[in-house]
Amino acid sequence: MSGTDNLVTTDDASDVAVADEAVKRRLGWGFWLCIGWIVLMIILAFLAPYLSIKDPNANFIDMSGKGRPPYGPSMDHWFGTDKDARDIFSRTLYGARISLTVGFVAIAFGLLVGGALGILAGYFRGWFDRIISFLFVILLSFPSLVLAIMLTSLIERSLLTISLVLGVLSIAPVGRLARASTLQYADREFVTAARQIGATNRRIILRELLPNVVIPMGALALLGMAVAIVAEGGLAFLGLSVEKGITWGSLIQLGSEGSTTLQKSPWIAFFPIFVLFFTVLALNFAGDRLRTYLDVKESAL
Amino acid sequence: MRFWLQRVAMAVLLLLSVSALTFGAMNILGDPLFNILGPVAGDVNNPDSVKLIEKAKSEFDLDEPLVVRYGLWLSDFVRGDMGVQFSSDGQPPVSDLIKERLPRTATLVLLAQLMAIAIAIPWALATASRAGRLSDRISTMNTFFLVAMPNFALAIILKFVLSIKLGWMPLTYVANDPLSSRLWQMVLPALTIALPVAAVFQRLLRTDLITTLQQDFILMARAKGLSRRRVLFRHALRPSLFSFITVVGLNTGALIGGSIVVETIFRIPGIGSSLVESVLREDFPVVLAIVMIVAVAFVLINLLVDILYSIIDPRVRR
Repeated sequence: MSGTDNLVTTDDASDVAVADEAVKRRLGWGFWLCIGWIVLMIILAFLAPYLSIKDPNANFIDMSGKGRPPYGPSMDHWFGTDKDARDIFSRTLYGARISLTVGFVAIAFGLLVGGALGILAGYFRGWFDRIISFLFVILLSFPSLVLAIMLTSLIERSLLTISLVLGVLSIAPVGRLARASTLQYADREFVTAARQIGATNRRIILRELLPNVVIPMGALALLGMAVAIVAEGGLAFLGLSVEKGITWGSLIQLGSEGSTTLQKSPWIAFFPIFVLFFTVLALNFAGDRLRTYLDVKESAL
Repeated sequence: MRFWLQRVAMAVLLLLSVSALTFGAMNILGDPLFNILGPVAGDVNNPDSVKLIEKAKSEFDLDEPLVVRYGLWLSDFVRGDMGVQFSSDGQPPVSDLIKERLPRTATLVLLAQLMAIAIAIPWALATASRAGRLSDRISTMNTFFLVAMPNFALAIILKFVLSIKLGWMPLTYVANDPLSSRLWQMVLPALTIALPVAAVFQRLLRTDLITTLQQDFILMARAKGLSRRRVLFRHALRPSLFSFITVVGLNTGALIGGSIVVETIFRIPGIGSSLVESVLREDFPVVLAIVMIVAVAFVLINLLVDILYSIIDPRVRR
């Protein structure tokens, strides 16, 4: 391997550090490109029923001699159709509705519950902190997909419950970050000062600590949404997500089931995969940039 | 010594809480009698049904209070008896099912872990020694793609390219094949799990190596006349391995989660695919057993990492 012959010396490394510094100052065009994609997906998902796209549940059997479905991508069906001759393009847009909603509700729930528990634990310490921290450890002692599967086995699988299950998964990571940031600020002068002039606990938490803790948590929100969307996709792929309705995961599952579907009509699985992939990539990239921009330490996660 | 005892006690307490919560949730939120018998459970006027209900109640101790049932389950579980399946005739016992399926999942996860490490270390060394160059930037972009790719999507892409289009890899797992071909059939599934994890490992190790390479002792080793390669492998890699071990331990969860999806796609009859099937059938004894095995494995691995870490670096034993 010739690569090892180009060992970096101290000079090279400091160049890298300078380059990183420059990136840190601005969010960059990549960030805005990603945000643009996410906003586009949200608009398309929101407007899907009002756009003049094909009915996602209609069967477009072709009588002009193309034979049996599935049909490949064409001017008529941009992403092709599945084996029931349903339009993949409109199904992918409709799938965005559930996938994005679940992602958003899940991380909102996680931020609310995890954030509140983390701040309270970090502020009051003592036995309350111990119980909450142990709760976080319990939640983290399962691989997240296993926990999600276990929880979905106990409930009716509707849009709300699936969102909440995935929200539960984000409680521990968010809560740990909130607790760590609270601990960081709880001993600072401005908190002591507020207490000295007679501020109540409630006022200190809401007015002094929350504004500081919200920033790193916000940076985590985009990453958390990506995690929730992937998790929902995984559940849907396994047949354990929202029972009625179209999601990206179930579309991909439909395109890969059986031994020949993937071989003969790869477009059924691949178009939803691309859309899912770009959405998750955009959320990850934008979240990562935002985290660097706001200078949230990786170790705190 | 106190440090070790504390760690072990914490692990045991953790597993007890996890099992109590899981057991409780399944018995309170679920309806065991209905899961065992189906619609017959509600048919209390028919004497035949009542007989079945009585039999099921005594077989599964359903008349006992929840705490007693948990105690019975726990004492059976630690002795290796995981109870009877709810579904159909209750055969085979859960323990036998697990005994048959666990080795496959364990092999898959172990293979994936080895692959991830084998990919990540050379990758990190190559990119860290050329940090900031074009090749490094391209590789950073690739780690982003790999991390963003959901594992079920990656599995489908790899299966499509390597198995269907190129025909290099077998399509699915066949449980009756000889050991060597079964191992070969596991390579692609393991690679699917390993790639995103390798990207995470590489990211961390690369950052760590770049910091290490700026240290004076690296300059010293170079000045002494050691070859660049020797410095990289012998001097730079070793200190970075500390944090690497922690991350390897923490990512075991991702490997286990990945194995569930991958087992389903490549039709490997392991405990991951078994978990999905039993959830769909609402077969709680199987779900409970698998969840507990995963939790035990996860906690043990992290305990092992902690202990390993404290041996390598005694400073953590405050």
